[in-house]
Amino acid sequence: MSISKPFSIVKHLFKKPMTLAFPFEALEPVTDYRGRQVLDLERCVGCGTCAWICPNEAIEIVEYNGRKYPKIHLGKCCFCGLCAEYCPSEALKMTAEAMISMFNKAEAVYGPDKLSGKAK
Amino acid sequence: MSEEITSSLKSNFPASITGIVSEDKNFSLTAKKEEFCEMLSWLKDSGFDHLSDVTCVDFIEEKEFEVIYHLWSHTRKLRGAVKVRIPRESPSIRSVVDLWAGAQIHERENHEMFGINFDGNPNLSPLFLEDWEEIPPFRKDFNSREYVKKKYYGGE
Amino acid sequence: MEENVLEKEIFFPTMLVPFGPQHPASGHFHAMLKCDGEQVVELIPYPGYLHRGFEKLMEYRLHVQNSMLVDRICVLDPFANEMGYANVVEKAVGVEAPEKGKFIRTIMAELGRILSHITWIGVLSMALGLDSGTRIAWGDREKIIRLNEIATGGRIYPCFFVPGGVRRGFPEGFKEKALKVLDYLEKQLNLYDNLVFQNKTVHVRLERVGVFDSKEAAALGATGPNLRACGIDTDVRRDEPYDAYPEADFKAVTMKEGDGYARALCRRGEISESISMVRQLLEKMPRGKIRIKELALAKAPVGDAHFCCESARGELCFYMVSDGTNKPYRVKVRGPSFSHTLSEFPYLVRGASIADVPAIYWSLDPCPSDMDR
Repeated sequence: MSISKPFSIVKHLFKKPMTLAFPFEALEPVTDYRGRQVLDLERCVGCGTCAWICPNEAIEIVEYNGRKYPKIHLGKCCFCGLCAEYCPSEALKMTAEAMISMFNKAEAVYGPDKLSGKAK
Repeated sequence: MSEEITSSLKSNFPASITGIVSEDKNFSLTAKKEEFCEMLSWLKDSGFDHLSDVTCVDFIEEKEFEVIYHLWSHTRKLRGAVKVRIPRESPSIRSVVDLWAGAQIHERENHEMFGINFDGNPNLSPLFLEDWEEIPPFRKDFNSREYVKKKYYGGE
Repeated sequence: MEENVLEKEIFFPTMLVPFGPQHPASGHFHAMLKCDGEQVVELIPYPGYLHRGFEKLMEYRLHVQNSMLVDRICVLDPFANEMGYANVVEKAVGVEAPEKGKFIRTIMAELGRILSHITWIGVLSMALGLDSGTRIAWGDREKIIRLNEIATGGRIYPCFFVPGGVRRGFPEGFKEKALKVLDYLEKQLNLYDNLVFQNKTVHVRLERVGVFDSKEAAALGATGPNLRACGIDTDVRRDEPYDAYPEADFKAVTMKEGDGYARALCRRGEISESISMVRQLLEKMPRGKIRIKELALAKAPVGDAHFCCESARGELCFYMVSDGTNKPYRVKVRGPSFSHTLSEFPYLVRGASIADVPAIYWSLDPCPSDMDR
């Protein structure tokens, strides 16, 4: 035991800090991060497996342009990635986009237009 | 290794054991409600000094609760389970706080979640839930989705 | 003014001091301390702040959906919960995961143990007033959370182990990154020794505080480092080995005194043991399949299964009863912090002074989400 040994951390005053000055610096995104989903409108067959496997019942199958597509409520989603893993035609994939925020709950529901990036 | 424990139990309590499963390092047996406390006391004296858990399962079709005591012995490195069936109408069973002091809190949780009365437990007041007026929530006839709709969304 | 105070003390000798749940010294646990002046007479716990009803929620979901939910039971050590659920389903169905999947599971579980113990060093320092320890520990946590992100895609909730194996294999270059992080952490352990464990102030605050002997510990249901600090040598990884633990060479760290300082040294020793285990397993990693995909949606036969694993806090047990469908009939989770916080903590606090209460609480390393489930 010693009273003087703890003072050895004073040398950390002269080292580079462990933190990053966000938003000017940020961590690099990794490949296969489980962020928001993105939908490929051509590949989706409307089978409904994503809605069946979702643990929180956050996905609903709706009509869009004459075909059936998923509509995801991002407020209920836990970003586990089961929908993308069990999609038989690989139409639903997870991206690295995790900085999602909005001012009212209705904007948290992403229909097929927003999921595929076709919405303005 | 668990053979010697199970054979001693069969010779000491021949009438109480209704089913026994024994593997190399663990065993599990079903006991009658009348003598299970003496059985647990014998097991504690033979070295099962750690009561891991007191669990309950609701078999609503058979109209019974099953209370399960999971034990572990630090000296023999053996795991054991003792299961007791009690009727679902006004369920009540003897408490084991005088054998293991840590059993008190497990029994208090089971009393709150299933409604089982443990005779001899000094404190069975509610643990997690406050102002709870419905039936004990972990029973199979409690529908949590209906309760949430009724209480928080006005029944829609 | 002074006469009024004296009068009050004569007529109302004990006072109630609330402890938590919104306080940095108490985690998310609420209790009332009945104090006679500076000494605590009794502790009345009010758990339930984080009660989410997992055991009821798991009865309505498939096995693979439950694996995503089970992370949230103990947030500070998520891999232990996933390990327990995956293994209990495999035991019920009667199929084992492939070798490579077991190795990956063990490596990630040990990294999770190191993460949990470093978090504990940070929170213990904060509770004792040594803020530098907290800041440095939080910076070191980031290195392991980054490894989680690279391997599993999620930082705090990895959702990685499923019944049947793991969801994806390690990417290219993971082994080198992990070894670099382990080398860095070994050097940082010298800093923690200088700052926290060999610090005279910390030693005086934790020595002979919250003492119990091995008989009392066993009767109250202690497990994990809390029990090993009293001299009883029980470790589920060695006594009932599962996954790839038979391939790793490690020893369980035990002490004799049973006080707060002995518990702290047990956890410090476990960090070194875990670092050496991860290095050994990364060397010995086999090739092959990582997952049996059918097990995630399999129907377990009628019966029950019981599985215990060693989380960072103690013995975490899962007991599952199944009725022949692909959803469980009843799942019971035995969190290690249930006994630590609600049986041992009230026992140890009797007679201690108010200033010792956070020191005793954090030397037991409880996790309120584990306790409430």
